Amino acid sequence: MSASVSPSIAPTAGTAESGPITLSLPPIPTMVRVGRLTASSIASLADMTIDDIDDIKIAVSEMITVLIQSGSRAMISLRFETTATEFSVEASTPSGVTDLARNDLALATAVLDAVADEHHVAATGDTIMIRVVKRLSSVASTDARSDSPS
Amino acid sequence: MEEIGKNESIRVSLDDEGAVIAAGDIDLAGGPLLDAAITRVENAKPVVIDLAAVEFIDSSGLRSLLAASRRAETRGTRVVLRSPSAGVVRLLTITGTTDQFDVQAASQA
Repeated sequence: MSASVSPSIAPTAGTAESGPITLSLPPIPTMVRVGRLTASSIASLADMTIDDIDDIKIAVSEMITVLIQSGSRAMISLRFETTATEFSVEASTPSGVTDLARNDLALATAVLDAVADEHHVAATGDTIMIRVVKRLSSVASTDARSDSPS
Repeated sequence: MEEIGKNESIRVSLDDEGAVIAAGDIDLAGGPLLDAAITRVENAKPVVIDLAAVEFIDSSGLRSLLAASRRAETRGTRVVLRSPSAGVVRLLTITGTTDQFDVQAASQA
C-alpha cells in the first residue's frame, strides 16, 4: 500500500449542495492529519464556530486513529454530512475485531465524550464503524433559549 | 538547539538545557518522534517538555506524554510540561490527566 495515495473527495450524487462528501484514506499515521484538515475545511463551509471546528478536528483525529489501530490494514472510509442543525462524520474500515474493549479506547472515548454531542462505536466482526455528531452552535444556543423558562 | 527529527506532523528538538521542544501536531504520526526525543533525555530530573508551539494534540499524542510520566515516576521524578498551548491544556483537562504532570504555564516559564 502506497503512502502517496491521494484522497478522493467527491460529492455524492443526488444530495444537497453541502454533501455528503466522502473520503478514502490509506491506514497510515500521516493520513490522520489529512483527514483532520479535510474535516476542518468541510466544517468551515458550514455555519460553525472556530471552537466547533477545533472539536471536529480532534474528533476526526480520534476516529481515524482508532480505525488505523483496530482495522485490518484496509482503506478507511469517511463520510461527512452537514444539515441545517448538525455536522456528522461516519468513519469505517474492515476489521475482524469484535471486542473493542481489548483496545486502548479509554482515552479516545473520553475525548469524544468531551468534543462531540453524540458518538457511537460499533464493531461487527467485519467492520468497525464510528459515527460522531456535532450540533451547530447557533442551533444549540437557540434550543437552549427556547428551553429556558420565560 | 539540536534537532532530533521531523515529519509531516511535528518537529522535535532539544534545547541547550536538555528540554524537549515539540512544534506542530502530536498525533499518531508525531508521537513516535516525540517518544524518541523524550527517551534521549530521560536521565534528566525532571524531564522538561516544551509544548508552546504545539498546534494540535490528540489522545495518541497524550499517550506519549503519559508514558513518559509513568517512566519518570518509576525513576522518582516528574515530567514538566512547559508553556503548554491552549490545545494541550484543553486535552489534559477533558481527559482528567493534568495532575500526571507538573504544568508550567507560559507566564511561569
